[in-house]
Amino acid sequence: MMEHVRTSTLKQIGLASLTALALAASGLAQAQQAQPQKKYKIYLSMFVSGGGWITAASNSIKALAATPPYDKTVELIEVISGPEPQKQIAAYESMIAAGADGIITLPGSFTALNRTIKKGCDKGVVFFTFGLTVSERCAYQVQAITNGFGENGGQLMANLTKGKATILANHAFPGGGADKRHFDGFLDAIKKYPEMKVVARTWGNAADEKSQAEAAKALAAHPTIDAVFTQPGELGIIKAFQAVGKDKLPIVIGEGGNGFRLALADPEMRKKGLNGVSSGGTPAEAAFGFKLMMEVLTKQRTMPFRQVAYPLPWVTADDVKICTGDRPKDGCNTYPKDKVPDTFFVSIMDRPDLLPELSLTAVLEGKPTPGATIQKITWPLEQQPPSPGVNCEKCTAPKDQFKVTKVKAFDAK
Amino acid sequence: MKSFLSNEDKMALALLALTALLIFASGWISPSLGSWNQVRSTLVLSTFVMLVGFGQQTVMLTGGLDLSVPAIVTLGAVALFSWVGADPAALTWGIPAVLGLCATIGAINGVFVALLRVPPFIMTLAMGMIVASALLGITGGSPRGEAAPAVAFLFTGEWLGLPPVVYLMAGFTALALLWQRHSGFGRMVYAVGTSAEAARIAGLPVARVTVLCYAISGASAGAAGILYVGFSGGATLDTGTDILIPVIAAVVVGGTSIMGGRGSFLGVVGGALLLTTFSIMITAIGMSAGWRAVINGGVILIALLTLQENIRAWGASKLRAFGSKRCLGVIGSATTVKRKTS
Repeated sequence: MMEHVRTSTLKQIGLASLTALALAASGLAQAQQAQPQKKYKIYLSMFVSGGGWITAASNSIKALAATPPYDKTVELIEVISGPEPQKQIAAYESMIAAGADGIITLPGSFTALNRTIKKGCDKGVVFFTFGLTVSERCAYQVQAITNGFGENGGQLMANLTKGKATILANHAFPGGGADKRHFDGFLDAIKKYPEMKVVARTWGNAADEKSQAEAAKALAAHPTIDAVFTQPGELGIIKAFQAVGKDKLPIVIGEGGNGFRLALADPEMRKKGLNGVSSGGTPAEAAFGFKLMMEVLTKQRTMPFRQVAYPLPWVTADDVKICTGDRPKDGCNTYPKDKVPDTFFVSIMDRPDLLPELSLTAVLEGKPTPGATIQKITWPLEQQPPSPGVNCEKCTAPKDQFKVTKVKAFDAK
Repeated sequence: MKSFLSNEDKMALALLALTALLIFASGWISPSLGSWNQVRSTLVLSTFVMLVGFGQQTVMLTGGLDLSVPAIVTLGAVALFSWVGADPAALTWGIPAVLGLCATIGAINGVFVALLRVPPFIMTLAMGMIVASALLGITGGSPRGEAAPAVAFLFTGEWLGLPPVVYLMAGFTALALLWQRHSGFGRMVYAVGTSAEAARIAGLPVARVTVLCYAISGASAGAAGILYVGFSGGATLDTGTDILIPVIAAVVVGGTSIMGGRGSFLGVVGGALLLTTFSIMITAIGMSAGWRAVINGGVILIALLTLQENIRAWGASKLRAFGSKRCLGVIGSATTVKRKTS
């Protein structure tokens, strides 16, 4: 009897305990459900603002951060620090102190930011750079710089001019590893053509107006210029040729401005000799870098290396195809004038396979593409080769660093 | 006898002569230099500096400085490109509206400087930052719009081998000179710059003059922005970025005193043409950006030093002394010869 009572008491205690455990577990589960999902605090740090390239980069990151599921899991804060490295250092310091999980940045200096970046890395902050580079090895970098804009552009120019050209080289800003890498590659490609000569060099600050004014000065001194290797500012260069009443337009190896691509597609301009390619760096590096960073932070990806080579945009005059909708479809790569400004850096849309979340709404306004969700990157990442002054300080570039990959030389045997 | 030309006019003419000499002599740098093409490029490219320089000089004549001009140039360009567009009918109200907007921003500078005694460089620097930031916010970084063909025609059209903008600038220069020398307001500007206190005692509306001078600077910068749209067929947030240093250099090289009260627009025209010519020559040499900047800075420094009134006076006195010594020497030897022969 007593045993029965003990047994039933034990049963009761057991049942009560189970009930209590179940209740506790359910409460815990409810508490867990009520607890908000982890929000990643991501900072977008730019050292300058404005301009087609930077606006497209910034807007695309904002749009991706607002695209599901990141709209619920990412808190994005943009900080524009100003061109002096010390201001960007101070901005990084504040971000690290504020508990940043990741900092995606257009860095304003190759070396000056290193110490702060290292400090952040040591505290677990994930750093991603785009556009320009830093020499600190703990930072992840996503750029197209080492993918051969200069050498491929130089060879295409040689092909289009049959190895005979009087050339204007219009740089973006004085100094900088990317600029040097592009120009060195270009010179390497044209060195085997003795009749191709760079007669003038200008610095157009990556802006159409400045490039136009500088090109006008160069044309006053060298009216025989018939080919141009240029960083952003291509349309300004073409206008400088038109302004001096030149009937013949040049071969232009330029970057990704929509106005430039429209000019390349213009039959009247083509008749006057305009030809070339739209290539160079692309703000898509920023959007792709953000996606990569989030995959690293959410542990969806382990990076086998830290320097990622973004594919080089390459749209020749013959390849320009005008889009009708807001998203790049059926191989279109350029938008009508009434849809985007001339300065719109359309090369951001060149790889819809890598960035299917982007549309004009996203890049122009920084708003998510309606109906889009973040797609996991399936493209096999490519590593940047070492390039002194671009992605490393004391390193040796491979012997074939200026290998031409996009075009075949017209005189190749 | 009082000279028909003032010292400022003589300096301006000297600058113009030096410019012509440089263009003529620049052929040895590049065979293509010294051509009509170079003259045309020089005239067109210096237009913007002259126009903004007029406003900057007007402010400097009162003893002030306007550092907001790059942002206001950009504002003028963006306002015309994005908000007025290409419709010819819209230009009739659009251009005055843009000029009015830019003049108003300049006037706000003037109010703070004249009435609230904010130092000009602080006020105009702050205003420049406010305008630039507002433009970034409003446009989202990339202004969209359309360039008016009528404004573009100023640069693409041609009359007697020159684009219309050159004739427009020549007319503007004549009017500006008349205004500076023969209008009551022009004289008041010089009076305020020479001594604001004396001008106040003389009953001149010093504050009103100062405010209007800053408004003129704003309007001039806005007008340059409008011309930039014609020149480049568009506008970006970088449109006016690089104009400040060339403008201040042209104004000061042209003989305008930074202390106020002295200077002529003809000097600004001469300074702008001279510096643009140098700039083209430096581009022709094809040197790296660093050395180019060193030469640019050196040229401005040399020009400023040689054009300083006290240094010119010192040079002139040395020349006179050298001339009289030679004269004395000649007279002395002539006397000796005469003595010997006698």
